[in-house]
Amino acid sequence: MPTPPPETQPNAQDPDFEQASPSIVTYYNKLLDLDHEITKPVAAIESLTALLSASPPSTVSETLALIESSTSTLKASVPNPIALSAGTDLFQRYIVTALQSGSSDPRGRSKRGPGSSPDDFGAIRAHLLANSKLVIQRAKEARGSIARIAKRFVQDGSTVLTCGASRVVSAVLNAAADDGVLFQVIYVQSSNPTKREQGFGRDLVLGLRGKEIPVAVTSFDAVATAMAKASFCMVGAESVVENGGITSSLGTRQIGLLAKSLRKPFYVAVESHKFVRVYPLGPEDLGLETGVLDFKVREGEDDRDTSSEREQLDEQEAQPVESSRLDLTPPELITGLVTEKGVQTPSAVSEELIKIWY
Amino acid sequence: MTPAASSGGGSKQQDPIVADETAVVNGNGDQGKAPAATPKDGPKNNQKGKKTSEGAPKGDAGPNSGKPSGKELKERAKAEKQAKRAKEREGKQGQPVADFKGGNIAPEPESKIGKSPGKDQPPSKSHQRRRSSAGAHAQKPLPLRPAAAAASVPKVQETLEEDNRVPLLEHLYGHPRRTTIAGASKDVHPSVLALGLQIGAYEICGSNARCVAMLLVFQQVISSYTTPVATSLPRHLTTHLSSQIDYLISYRPLSVSQGNAIRWLKVAISAVDISTPEEQAKSDLCIGIDNFIREKISVADQVIAASGAERIKDGDVIMTYAKSSIVEKTLAEAFYQGKRFKVVVIDSHPLYEGRNLARALVDLGVEVQYSLINGLAHVVGPVTKTFLGAHAMMSNGRLYSRLGTAMVAMMAKDVNSPVMVCCESVKVTDRVALDSFVHNEIAPEDELLPPRMPENGQNVDSDSKSLSLYNWRKTPNLQLLNLMYDLTPAEMIDVVITEAGSMPPNAIAMVQSLTANT
Repeated sequence: MPTPPPETQPNAQDPDFEQASPSIVTYYNKLLDLDHEITKPVAAIESLTALLSASPPSTVSETLALIESSTSTLKASVPNPIALSAGTDLFQRYIVTALQSGSSDPRGRSKRGPGSSPDDFGAIRAHLLANSKLVIQRAKEARGSIARIAKRFVQDGSTVLTCGASRVVSAVLNAAADDGVLFQVIYVQSSNPTKREQGFGRDLVLGLRGKEIPVAVTSFDAVATAMAKASFCMVGAESVVENGGITSSLGTRQIGLLAKSLRKPFYVAVESHKFVRVYPLGPEDLGLETGVLDFKVREGEDDRDTSSEREQLDEQEAQPVESSRLDLTPPELITGLVTEKGVQTPSAVSEELIKIWY
Repeated sequence: MTPAASSGGGSKQQDPIVADETAVVNGNGDQGKAPAATPKDGPKNNQKGKKTSEGAPKGDAGPNSGKPSGKELKERAKAEKQAKRAKEREGKQGQPVADFKGGNIAPEPESKIGKSPGKDQPPSKSHQRRRSSAGAHAQKPLPLRPAAAAASVPKVQETLEEDNRVPLLEHLYGHPRRTTIAGASKDVHPSVLALGLQIGAYEICGSNARCVAMLLVFQQVISSYTTPVATSLPRHLTTHLSSQIDYLISYRPLSVSQGNAIRWLKVAISAVDISTPEEQAKSDLCIGIDNFIREKISVADQVIAASGAERIKDGDVIMTYAKSSIVEKTLAEAFYQGKRFKVVVIDSHPLYEGRNLARALVDLGVEVQYSLINGLAHVVGPVTKTFLGAHAMMSNGRLYSRLGTAMVAMMAKDVNSPVMVCCESVKVTDRVALDSFVHNEIAPEDELLPPRMPENGQNVDSDSKSLSLYNWRKTPNLQLLNLMYDLTPAEMIDVVITEAGSMPPNAIAMVQSLTANT
């Protein structure tokens, strides 16, 4: 990997990092708020890089311990850490391998043996930070590469069905539209979307319509009917788990099942830094089913519906629990994963991950 | 063992001794033919079932030409027979591998003749078999389980009668399994002799157990090995080990894990520096074997058990099939972690390995439901997770495991229970399998028969018994097949838990390439 000249500690003055751990959460959230184009794993990597550059140079083991502790703080701070952990795991793994290749025996160095000078470690650290920036930059560029690859799936006369708030899918569709492809889009909108989803959906629909691409907006109630008109489905993902399944916005799995039963291809456009090394056998392994269901009986003795109860019911339906905004689409429903490295089958995910980890 | 007069009970060449004209003449024809037939006709007949028709006329020539001088012939036959029997008594049953090949071939002509002329033979033959079984029991050096014991009995005569092989699986029938240590080469180490018997009797059963036992025995072989003059340890020890391995193979084919371990060991031996003092080299190798067992099996099992146990939640109903040491460890680990779950152990005839697992789990305090595979559909309903052991993982992601595993996996998928395979990387092979016919192991068919009751044994040759399944070898158009393994398609497997992590079955080839260079 070519190393650009190390720009030393750009974030050193960032006051957020004076107390290390607790503030990484705020930094992470700030990144996500400020930059709508950034993904969660990249934000996590960036937060950790910033943390590392702000913290004073120390030993290898101290560095690793610092990253370890801030990673767990970060994970604990969000309702569902799968997407985030893709970034932190990748960073941790990267740090470990970088340190191992930088110094033949990191443990020896951490003891500050006669052979290791602080300067030596400083050099490794600077190199590491520079490379981390490169990693982040590449991760951000991935979306463009995916759009270039995936737009070939969108052909004249095709109808694309999509849902959720994937920036990658948005990039793909816009790239195809910019190329002058004549296609239609079915956008499936959640019946009670979050603010972000709502905004995103509006932007996508209006943007495409502005490019003279016909867009139909429908709800999940009608998706089975709408599916018959679709040529293929393309969705984004929060993360890709090891068996090739994806976690994505609630409802994606339904679309996958319908696509399978109607024999429509189901593509997932996703950056490869969202691959995460967990192997769930079902949504319960990721804690995704919590909050989806809340069984209750009526509390009042009265048989008549009280207005307060009705209000309560309406309120609950309108506000789904945050952690239940995701579902797990198993690999057998997925035709292909379009990453910046090309189109892969779900079973290739595990091989990619093993390559990174060993 | 009955004396020679007792009409060849247990003798390998089972000439019919009954004073029945046809039988004797047949015996004669056999004797005249067998030695000559062995080299030329043998292989042909052996390989092709359809040769039967061709062989029969030749056999018939014996009786026809023999009839004129019947009496003389009879006497000659008797003399020959006795000499033969005496010879056989020394080298009987466990004869060297070469002899097995002969044994495989020689019987064929006889069986064909026996088929065409006389229907009166079956009773007399079953009579002989009973006797031979008594003899075999008396000689048995190890206490055998009923199935194994029953199996070993007729093995002596296994190839003698009609060709009851399944034509499709012709290629899987090797030489009959060895059952005793008699006739073993003098190079074979005593501990290897013992191990062979244990493996042959399923006392040591299962891919891991066989692999570990073999490696431990090889440690003894190595430590009692002295390099002959004019050769060197790296060059000679491998050939010395090869003869031990060949001996073990004569009991049962090697498991994939054994094969991988042997490959590793041979590389380790050949890598020994030629200038290393012998004692040093030997102790290094023994330490290497210890490390191999620790790394590839003991520690790997701990890692797999820990990650498998993570997948078990309170209230789960876990199904497993037969017995896998690693599945047992996983369940035990989950139980020690305080998880409360039920286990459904599915088992099958003839090995009943699941009994041991059920017993072990019950002893721990786990709630166990035990069922044979016949009852699978009945018990599968509440199952939430399925753990399977592996004999081997093929590099195309298919699971090669005890016969019946594929059915259990299929039923598990039918109730939407995730199917998890626990498999150490030492069991991963670079071989690809598309069906379970190309590679498999055929166990002695007689293991399938229910164990014979001692009281029945006396009059087993009565008419009613002669028609029973025990006489399957002489029943035309009846073939028994006792395959040991089957292949579970990758689509039925949700995850393979290895010490390198959990992965989908298709990615298992990665493990192979990862661990191959370590």
